Amino acid sequence: MAPVHIPSALSFELLGKCSVTKARAATLHLPHGTVPLPIFMPVATQASLKGLTPEQLEETGCKLCLNNTYHLGLKPGQATLDAVGGAHKFQSWPHNILTDSGGFQMVSLLKLAKITEEGVRFLSPHDGSPMLLTPEHSIALQNSIGSDIIMQLDDVLVTTSPDLARMKEAMERSVRWLDRCIQAHKYPERQNLFCIIQGGLDLELRRQCTAEMVARDTPGIAIGGLSGGEAKDAYCKVVDTCTGLLPEKKPRYVMGVGYPEDLVVSVALGADMFDCVWPTRTARFGNAITAHGVLNLRNAMYSTDFGPIEEGCTCSCCRSVEDGGLGITRAYIYHVTAKETAGAHLLTMHNVQYQLNLMKSIREAILEDRYPKFLKEFFGKLYDAKSQYPEWAVTALKGVGVDLME
Amino acid sequence: MAGPSSTPQLDQLPPEMLDFTLLKTAGALAPRLGRFALPGRKPILTPGFLSNTSRGVVPHISQDNFRRNPAFNGVYVALEDFVEKFPQKTPPIFEYDVPETLRRFIALPKDSPIILGARRSPPIPSPVANTNTEVGLLTSVGFRSISSEYYAAAVRKLQPDIVVGLADIPFGQESVGLKRKDKMSDRTETWTRDIIAKRNTLDSEDPKFSIFAPILPIERDLQSWYLDHLVDDMLDKIQGIAIYDAYIMEDLPDELHPFPRLSFHNPSSPHDLLRQINLGIDLFTIPFINTATDSGIALNFTFPSPQKVFDASSTRQSLGIDMWHASLATDVTPLSENCPCDACTKHHKAYIQHLLSAKEMLGWVLIQMHNHAVLTSFFTTIRASISAGTFEEDIKAFEAYYEPQLPEKTGQGPRLRGYQFKSESHAEKGKKNPKAFRKLGEEEVRALQEEAARRKEKKDVVDDEAMVGLVGMDGVDGNVAVNALPGEGVDGLEMADDTPEKI
Repeated sequence: MAPVHIPSALSFELLGKCSVTKARAATLHLPHGTVPLPIFMPVATQASLKGLTPEQLEETGCKLCLNNTYHLGLKPGQATLDAVGGAHKFQSWPHNILTDSGGFQMVSLLKLAKITEEGVRFLSPHDGSPMLLTPEHSIALQNSIGSDIIMQLDDVLVTTSPDLARMKEAMERSVRWLDRCIQAHKYPERQNLFCIIQGGLDLELRRQCTAEMVARDTPGIAIGGLSGGEAKDAYCKVVDTCTGLLPEKKPRYVMGVGYPEDLVVSVALGADMFDCVWPTRTARFGNAITAHGVLNLRNAMYSTDFGPIEEGCTCSCCRSVEDGGLGITRAYIYHVTAKETAGAHLLTMHNVQYQLNLMKSIREAILEDRYPKFLKEFFGKLYDAKSQYPEWAVTALKGVGVDLME
Repeated sequence: MAGPSSTPQLDQLPPEMLDFTLLKTAGALAPRLGRFALPGRKPILTPGFLSNTSRGVVPHISQDNFRRNPAFNGVYVALEDFVEKFPQKTPPIFEYDVPETLRRFIALPKDSPIILGARRSPPIPSPVANTNTEVGLLTSVGFRSISSEYYAAAVRKLQPDIVVGLADIPFGQESVGLKRKDKMSDRTETWTRDIIAKRNTLDSEDPKFSIFAPILPIERDLQSWYLDHLVDDMLDKIQGIAIYDAYIMEDLPDELHPFPRLSFHNPSSPHDLLRQINLGIDLFTIPFINTATDSGIALNFTFPSPQKVFDASSTRQSLGIDMWHASLATDVTPLSENCPCDACTKHHKAYIQHLLSAKEMLGWVLIQMHNHAVLTSFFTTIRASISAGTFEEDIKAFEAYYEPQLPEKTGQGPRLRGYQFKSESHAEKGKKNPKAFRKLGEEEVRALQEEAARRKEKKDVVDDEAMVGLVGMDGVDGNVAVNALPGEGVDGLEMADDTPEKI
């Protein structure tokens, strides 16, 4: 199928580039407002961010969050979304939403799923009857959801799969499915379809895929199939290779990435957008993300720690009462975590705000062209000694001109 | 700062004390209007209610939402939620070295009144019997008991605005013998004197807490010694009374009438609240608000009722909406018309129904906000009705218009915690929390396939109904076995161990 030009409902404003690494700072103008890049997007799987009201999510500074097409397709279902007028109205979220295609969940949740050229074929566990999710159906669902950024249905394979032939097939099929998604997309003028580069850990496959995808000229580009347990070195090589081939004036989204050190390294490798359930999920287990690492506040050592979750954090939990905050202590989180839902809400707010603040300071560092220094400070805070720095990060950053060890 | 108008002794109290002014009263056993004011706190107009807390927080309402929401003001806090480490270890809260320890620890706003009691409301019966010196508690890690001295010391350290004196009430016991009742009265008197004595030891610059003396849920003559002493010796030492049985109010000594009355007589319904108000109760903790919320029931009633129906044969209206109901899935109207709460002004039934059925925590958050707003306006209109002198009549209309009880729970609530129910050893009563997910066995899958093969028709679209089954088939969390993947688990508040990678 010949590439077709599709209109774009976004504009990408490149504001600055790091003079050493591949990091970029930009502003992305989307149908529901402007978002700063690089960005971390919290995941509101089922149209709700784990107990937070839209106002609370807004207060963390979030202007773009994720919903999962697969889950919204289940509940509330397409008919309800159509009746209510889309996911923004459904969850009273005035800012931007990104949805995935639903294919990933099909494959990861459904062990009986089989991928054919038509789509993802699976047996309904409800009644055992054969079912099919096609690129057309995924786009139709995302059109009903009305998300500002929608993702193509792709053929997802575990990156670590040793079957190169299958990997090549999946990559090529993903390109064909993109063409079907573009065809099926009803509202290109108000929803931005992103392609997803596949190809596993094989750099040659990734290169071919990137060339094919770029030729389709979608408003944004995602690098998919990663974060599936592959070695971090291999992950970095794939991101580095893909971003090297991507046009400068388009947003680049690496799917499923959210650990702070993955974020800072991926930005250095030229990626702009990230999402991950980890910050919100881990909050529910009592884990607080801080610049000095993750603290498990369920540990009894915190039961009498009356300091804030993180000293100097500006989230409403951590700010002192005198400073207009709530003055929540680690000891209080210890007291309520895993016992009262509100304990989860508090830590979720903190963790989301940590991630967004991290991205904000990354952006400032890039704009002031001091990102290499930022990276050194970041790792300096996270680890007690340089000998503890993860090798993959040191290697990846050396590849883009930053020597953490010097 | 004047105390109850007819007890001039209270004039000598330091300014930290409670000021309760009766605005309208028609004598004993009649509804009354009052204003309950603590220095530096927002006043509470009575009849009114306190939000019930669990571990220092109104269930599902994080502290920022509490501040944001005008339906929340005063709170009731139970000491048993904070002392599970006792006696093996000092409970952490006592090591927090700041003024107003309890308020700071639970991050309650400066202007919200705090009333502290020993037990949650309602208390879960403790198998640890009270003794002459100790009261049995239930904490999140099991049953404990604390002495009257310990309680008094805890109160001094925590600095609530008001403390409810320890009462010797054998909760959960069906019938209480005469001798036991005698003991109840004796012990409660001793313990009330203990807390008063403790307050007398406070330095003059220490903030003083107000004391609410318990009135026992037994006949007057069985607690007459205690009541007489309360009147003769302690009238100028207490600032209010805690009522455990609203129907003994008729036996209350006249001297106690000017004091604010906090009810721990657990109201089963709005009707029950009205009855207690009609007997002259001023303040409530209302456990059914949270029970309704956890059951997914959005309260939906107004006072006076929208129509004055006296025809007993007409169908009565439900007091709440079961938000689990699938018929609400596309209903974009608010939970209640004209309700000013955020759940009603910013969201709709369809979303809340979705949140419950998806077991998203926000569902309970929004319903809890709404239910508090409903009770807030219920009390506002009750006060207007008392003021207008139409209360009796309005109650009758309310009873005729609404069903007598809240709707039954049908859906599943949030996970129950150990301190929320009584564990019964040797009693295999099934799990309190159903298993969230299960995997289909191979045989079940085969059976399903065979069944499908028999049914010739072939579907080739993804329909919502069929996809619902996916959730039952495998943990939706399965996709995050590898932590960093898009798509988040549905379980609201998982307990299982997360193994965060060291960053």
